[in-house]
Amino acid sequence: MYVFLHILKVIVIIVLILFVVTFGVYIFNLDMKLTAAIYPWLQKHYDKIDRDQHL
Amino acid sequence: MAKEIGADRLGDFYKEGSLVRKRREWRGLVDTMYDYSKWLGIMLTLGKFVAKPRNVKAMFRYRWMSNYLAVPMMVDRHTQGLRGEYLRICHTEQDLVIKDVANLLDSLFRGDRRIGNDKKFSDKVVLVDENEMTAVMMGFPDLKVLSRETPSTYVSVLLNQYAACHYIDVAQEYGLAGDVCPMPEAEAGVSIDDDAPILGACAIQCNTTCDGSLLGNGVISQRLEHEDNIPVFQLAAPLRHREDDVQEYAAQEIRNAIAFVEKHTGHKWNWEAYFECAKRVNYATKCRQEWLEMNRTPYPQVFGSNLALYTETNYMAICGRVPAFEKADKTITKLARAAYAKKKMAAKEYRHRAIVWGVQSHYYMDFLVWLLNCWGIVPLTDMLSMVSTKEIAEVDTPENREQAYYDMAWLTENMIMRNRTHGGYKVLLDELWEFVEMFNADMVILWEHMSCKALDGMHGLFEEKAREKGIPLVWVSHDLFDPRIISRQGVRDQINSFMRTVMQEEPIDPSLEVLPDEKSW
Repeated sequence: MYVFLHILKVIVIIVLILFVVTFGVYIFNLDMKLTAAIYPWLQKHYDKIDRDQHL
Repeated sequence: MAKEIGADRLGDFYKEGSLVRKRREWRGLVDTMYDYSKWLGIMLTLGKFVAKPRNVKAMFRYRWMSNYLAVPMMVDRHTQGLRGEYLRICHTEQDLVIKDVANLLDSLFRGDRRIGNDKKFSDKVVLVDENEMTAVMMGFPDLKVLSRETPSTYVSVLLNQYAACHYIDVAQEYGLAGDVCPMPEAEAGVSIDDDAPILGACAIQCNTTCDGSLLGNGVISQRLEHEDNIPVFQLAAPLRHREDDVQEYAAQEIRNAIAFVEKHTGHKWNWEAYFECAKRVNYATKCRQEWLEMNRTPYPQVFGSNLALYTETNYMAICGRVPAFEKADKTITKLARAAYAKKKMAAKEYRHRAIVWGVQSHYYMDFLVWLLNCWGIVPLTDMLSMVSTKEIAEVDTPENREQAYYDMAWLTENMIMRNRTHGGYKVLLDELWEFVEMFNADMVILWEHMSCKALDGMHGLFEEKAREKGIPLVWVSHDLFDPRIISRQGVRDQINSFMRTVMQEEPIDPSLEVLPDEKSW
């Protein structure tokens, strides 16, 4: 019983931490702020690719 | 930070010079948790997508793929200020469209000669235009119908207002005229820039909406046929689609297209699959009609971008071929009925009932939400959502098999936009005023897509009729895919000036009148 309660407690704590972290990312729009930082770097990468550009 | 509709100053979420907004909305505990759970679902969809190495490879190969970084923000833009059933309707639609586009991308890269190079899979692929009714593929259940233009340009501009600019510039560098519609111009630009996946047993192009579209298709098919060895069928649907004497020709074009697909894929037309799809097309039509019926009352439920974006996807790109959309139709209808029974409203105040006509600005699709939140203008319906309501034959009989060719032809002729921009002044001009009466509208918002010659030619006739009917009409100019010509604020300013000077009104949410979203996705 003790082991079961301990496992349950660990699961609850993990779920709570996951919730707090993901909810923080969600509400403060951190996912979009991160991708906004990646976006300009990607554009520079695309400019370097050789392309068979023609009509 | 409020549960109540309209309690937030939505303009405060924007940040000058930033691609993204400061934070997401707090909509009260229940709605915030709902929105959060749906955000997690979107993250899961994106996570599954990037878990495949070939999709990551494609991300680094195709410039337009970078726009998909902005998927969650697109949903945020369309859910601005929404609560309760309206929020749920929006998520039901958008989350399904996101999954469908993720599947489309995954399939494109699987068959793409540069990325996945799955030859067996590619041999089952039939490429279609972005702006093309997929009715002609309803009887090929074992083939994959894929559009390269949908993810590279159409969806990209929904995600990032500047997504098409690079391709428009490339097309113009190669001598294509600068005053054609930027949609086909950008599609041609993707092809010229060598930025389109290469796959498929064959392709079907359609004389979609205009001369610009034909120009774009010409450039794309040149590369497909002569370099990639992918044969292309030109499906030339009649433009005067309301005339009886063109229908036999239109049906014959469908027979020819089916024969072409059979020849190049080795797959045979399947009537059982066709009539299954036809049932779903009719069900979608029935649901859309019910939503429009509600919109005629003082308590409209499925309107604005909730109606426009979903109709564009479900009616044209899906056309009964994906069962998940039937389930979404049911969910949306159930939510709309519940909200209607409780006489719910999507904003705290409805001041005007508007019909939105013309071709909308693609880089500012959430303008319809803005109209509601800023000025209390309810966009009851829009031109692109007023598509065919005709019931097609859905029972498999010898007579109906013959009728089916005419039904597919009818749907193809009446694809979105084309059913209004071509077919004579009745479908574009007269029917607008019939809808104004039918929906008890007190205002018309007329998009003026400045590169659309078909619509610009009617400018004076619209104004003449509006004066005759005594209906306030406001023109909103834009350049469809190119926000460098008229910015989002430029679009808003046209409404702001009209509402303040002509209607003598103050905004419901003044924080939305001027937004620092010039650089935003």
